[in-house]
Amino acid sequence: MEPTETAPVSSGRQGHRPPPWRDVRVIRVALQAGFVLAVVATLWWLYDNLATNLDRLGIRRDFSFLDQSAGFTIFGSDFSATGSIREALWVGLQNTLRVALLGIVLALIIGVVVGVMRLSTNWLVRRTASIYVELLRNIPPLVLIIFFYLAVLQTLPGISEAGTPAGLMVVSNRGVWLPWVELGEGTGAFAVTALVALVAAGLVASWRRRVHDTTGRPHRRVLWGTGAAVVVLGLGYLVLSPPIALSIPQLQGRSVTGGALLFPEYAALLISLVLYTSSFIAEIVRGSIQAVPKGQVEAAQALGLSWFDRLRRVVLPQALRIATPATGNEFLNLSKNVSLGVVIAYPEILRVGRQAIGNGQPAPQILLIVLAAYLAVSLTLSLVVNIANRRLQLVER
Amino acid sequence: MRDTRWYLLVAATLALTLAACTSDGEEPEDPADLVEEDGDDAAAEGEDGSAAPADSGEGVLEQVRDRGSLICGVNDAVPGFGITTAEGTFEGFDVDFCRSIAAAALGDAEAVEFVPLTAEARFTALQSGEIDVLVRNTTWTATRDGGEGAAFATTTFYDGQGMMVPADAGFASVDDMNDTIICVLSGTTTELNLESQFSARGVAYEALTFEDNDTLREAFLADRCDGWTSDKSQLAGVRSAWPEGEGGPEALTILDDTLSKEPLGPAVRDGDSTWFDVVNWAVIATIQAEEFGVDSTNAESLAGSIDPETEPELARFLGVDDFDAGLGLDPEFALDIVSQVGNYGEIFDRNIGPDTGLGLERGENALWTDGGLLYPPPYR
Repeated sequence: MEPTETAPVSSGRQGHRPPPWRDVRVIRVALQAGFVLAVVATLWWLYDNLATNLDRLGIRRDFSFLDQSAGFTIFGSDFSATGSIREALWVGLQNTLRVALLGIVLALIIGVVVGVMRLSTNWLVRRTASIYVELLRNIPPLVLIIFFYLAVLQTLPGISEAGTPAGLMVVSNRGVWLPWVELGEGTGAFAVTALVALVAAGLVASWRRRVHDTTGRPHRRVLWGTGAAVVVLGLGYLVLSPPIALSIPQLQGRSVTGGALLFPEYAALLISLVLYTSSFIAEIVRGSIQAVPKGQVEAAQALGLSWFDRLRRVVLPQALRIATPATGNEFLNLSKNVSLGVVIAYPEILRVGRQAIGNGQPAPQILLIVLAAYLAVSLTLSLVVNIANRRLQLVER
Repeated sequence: MRDTRWYLLVAATLALTLAACTSDGEEPEDPADLVEEDGDDAAAEGEDGSAAPADSGEGVLEQVRDRGSLICGVNDAVPGFGITTAEGTFEGFDVDFCRSIAAAALGDAEAVEFVPLTAEARFTALQSGEIDVLVRNTTWTATRDGGEGAAFATTTFYDGQGMMVPADAGFASVDDMNDTIICVLSGTTTELNLESQFSARGVAYEALTFEDNDTLREAFLADRCDGWTSDKSQLAGVRSAWPEGEGGPEALTILDDTLSKEPLGPAVRDGDSTWFDVVNWAVIATIQAEEFGVDSTNAESLAGSIDPETEPELARFLGVDDFDAGLGLDPEFALDIVSQVGNYGEIFDRNIGPDTGLGLERGENALWTDGGLLYPPPYR
């Protein structure tokens, strides 16, 4: 009850607070603030330098050029020269995604198959997979792309003497025309039929499982489901009197009508990137499978599961979890490597951007847009991979 | 004690950073330019205002003289205009103009460093100061003069865009080329001319744009495209070097259609008028020399024997009476150019004339006295 006595003790010596320049908390905050300040200052300084120099050279630095008409065309698209630079870059981005997305799917499939093959007990299969991996992952992707473009696809016959295997395709160094479906009047209705077929297949499959559960007879649900879908689709096709027609490419002199064109620049880029990336994915898959505890396989063997069932139900589900983050990195690599298409005239976004720069559009802004586009693609991809990764993880208590 | 040292370090870093930010305005020699300037003084002059850089500080001419050599951006893949030889040296029409500029600025036509550039990289290289002058079959256009920040000196070669097709393809003119694929080099005016000409004629086509001439050539060789469009001079160069295994030059035809005007000339950065004058007059001197009938064989003897009273113009041109036009050049710069490199006619005949593989006629590139477009302003 004598506050005058206690007060000096608590405000004076209690806690032994050091002076601010020796207080670890102050130092921490100061360090962080200083770092942020330094980064901001450096960026601002760089920008100021760029702006000053561009102004001095009389080069504009706004983005109004995006609405100007491009004046050039883009190969393999409907983009017309009167379209704006903005639209041109958008077409470029679409072309980038076209290679990246299909490439990711194909590289994943091939990668998993080759990765499993590398662990096969069959000497020939194992060796073949090893050669595949060691060969492809040790060649720079740029070399692969140029090789496939100039040394493989350009050596196909010229358009005048193009090959027409089985009369179904046209193969030349201007591209491969594949048979394709042509949309007719009933296409929309047919799409609905296809949806119905899917639902029917699902219903039949679950009915078969119930039969199996109650009677113990073999369910054969895949067989039954497919059958149901085929029946529905066949009926729809007959009722709608050809809703879709097959379009077979026809070679006439130096031009081809019908079919779908796979042009060599696209094919060379896709093939090279898929081969290159799949070799890395194969290694990831092999490593992940080997990382699954041996006891798991032995337990599965003890249960009498077949080789395929062991792989499908025991090993791969666990290996997948281990492989997901690393495989995601390979997806990112593939999507970024699409920019290498610039050397073989494939009109991806960097190519289109450089085309615009070459035709008098300002380089800093265009490259900034290209940069942002690649960043957006990569970040979206890694977001998807992260979500997949989180959902695949074991929930542990 | 450790904490104190850390604190001091942070304080020092902060102080330095702040100093760097604030001093940016007053201290123009900051080396870390984002737009990478070679010899940053060129950037420095402009930074503190829009004052003409030529008058204050060091212009490109001084830089070239300090360095003792000229850095010239050229092509290395177009026969006749700019190409690397088997020995690794550069030769060609454009390359000779680089040498002329070096002779004018330094008195030595061999004091040139050549920088091979792609069509797309050339203006960036010029803007950033990586090269002093760009002599790389570059077309003079309004956008390049304006937006690209370049300034074009006197045209060295009046060219036009043409179309090269296989001789057996049966195309007599561009109008026959409906539904074709045209190979074109990216980053050139060629692309825009192709589009405007073909759409004006109502001819449907698809353009395949390549990054470099080598890949384009391979693709054209493999019949990936029906036509190759570029400046006629370039096409003539490619045609002359077409491999015999593919039928030699006879296998290709350059159509008569001219798709565009293509005045090709050297370009420098905007804003240094002294350097612009040097480049401009180095080109004009070669043309003037041809008009005067001065060439590499007789230049020295003419300079020794000429009488300034009877032939004042020629005497001024050869620097005999120490006439200084105020271009910042040696009075004998024209003599240096002509005796070391030659006059316009010699440069033309040596690289691209009728006796070379390209076999180009003078055409528009003849002197005005012969019905051409070369018309040098008087040297007085």
